[in-house]
Amino acid sequence: MHDEEPANDDLRTCTWVWLIMIGLTLITYFSDRLGWNDLGISLGVLLLALIKGHLVGAYFMELRHVRGLWRWPVTLWLFLPGSLISLAFFLAYSP
Amino acid sequence: MTSITLPTTENNTLPTVRERRYPPGDLAIWIFILAELAVFAIAFVGYAFARMYNVELFNEYQQQLDRRSALINTLVLITSSYFVVRAVHAIRGDNSRHCVRWLSAAMAMGGLFLFIKGAEFAHHFSHGINLSTNTFYMFYLSLTIFHFMHVIMAMIILAAITLKARRGGYSARDHRGVETGASYWHMVDLVWLILFPLVYVMH
Repeated sequence: MHDEEPANDDLRTCTWVWLIMIGLTLITYFSDRLGWNDLGISLGVLLLALIKGHLVGAYFMELRHVRGLWRWPVTLWLFLPGSLISLAFFLAYSP
Repeated sequence: MTSITLPTTENNTLPTVRERRYPPGDLAIWIFILAELAVFAIAFVGYAFARMYNVELFNEYQQQLDRRSALINTLVLITSSYFVVRAVHAIRGDNSRHCVRWLSAAMAMGGLFLFIKGAEFAHHFSHGINLSTNTFYMFYLSLTIFHFMHVIMAMIILAAITLKARRGGYSARDHRGVETGASYWHMVDLVWLILFPLVYVMH
């Protein structure tokens, strides 16, 4: 047993991913102050959420190291509902 | 005469050692994770289309939610996921002690999430709000309570893994259990990352 686990690029990358997600979450929270209309804010924060979801899947769940079909379910999960949610908000905003 | 060009290491992109065919952890948990994600996806889309027919109602009652608590909870879950990443990294370095420490930190963050969310639920219930109040609260309470139960389940899994890690049950060579629990925890985080903007922010 070692006292310190070995530092490597993956861990450093995950630390950056964590900090980026914190930043994107704060942007989401303060999105009302951007001066965009409601639809712009909604689609903008949804896009940020999808980016964060992709980061979790690719880096925290380590799916970027997986080859073949198992690499894509989380991305697909983000893309399909994300598209339908966007459509619903777009239609709700239209007169 | 037909010439045959044999593949060489230089000309071919060989998979790196790190590449794998299956995601980390037990494959069964990934089947479970995908099933859970599918259920949440249907619920999210259901929320969005229900809102489409009740825009004013959803916007009005969304304003009554505690967005600051939701922000804190999002930061808490993201951080807990990062701690779980650290735990997996630690056990890959054969460091059970650090693995236990990071898992414990992740569970503490999970406990904080449950406390904050539980206080939010208590506030709603004390004001007589329930699933029957209106369509918005039906979706809001269903989604968040369902997610809340998943956090509890994920904490139980992490607790079991932590106990085994404390007994030295995992090593650099054998730590599939840690990866399995980590994958489930990240799924719970992933769902909240969509739930937070959808229910609390988008209007």
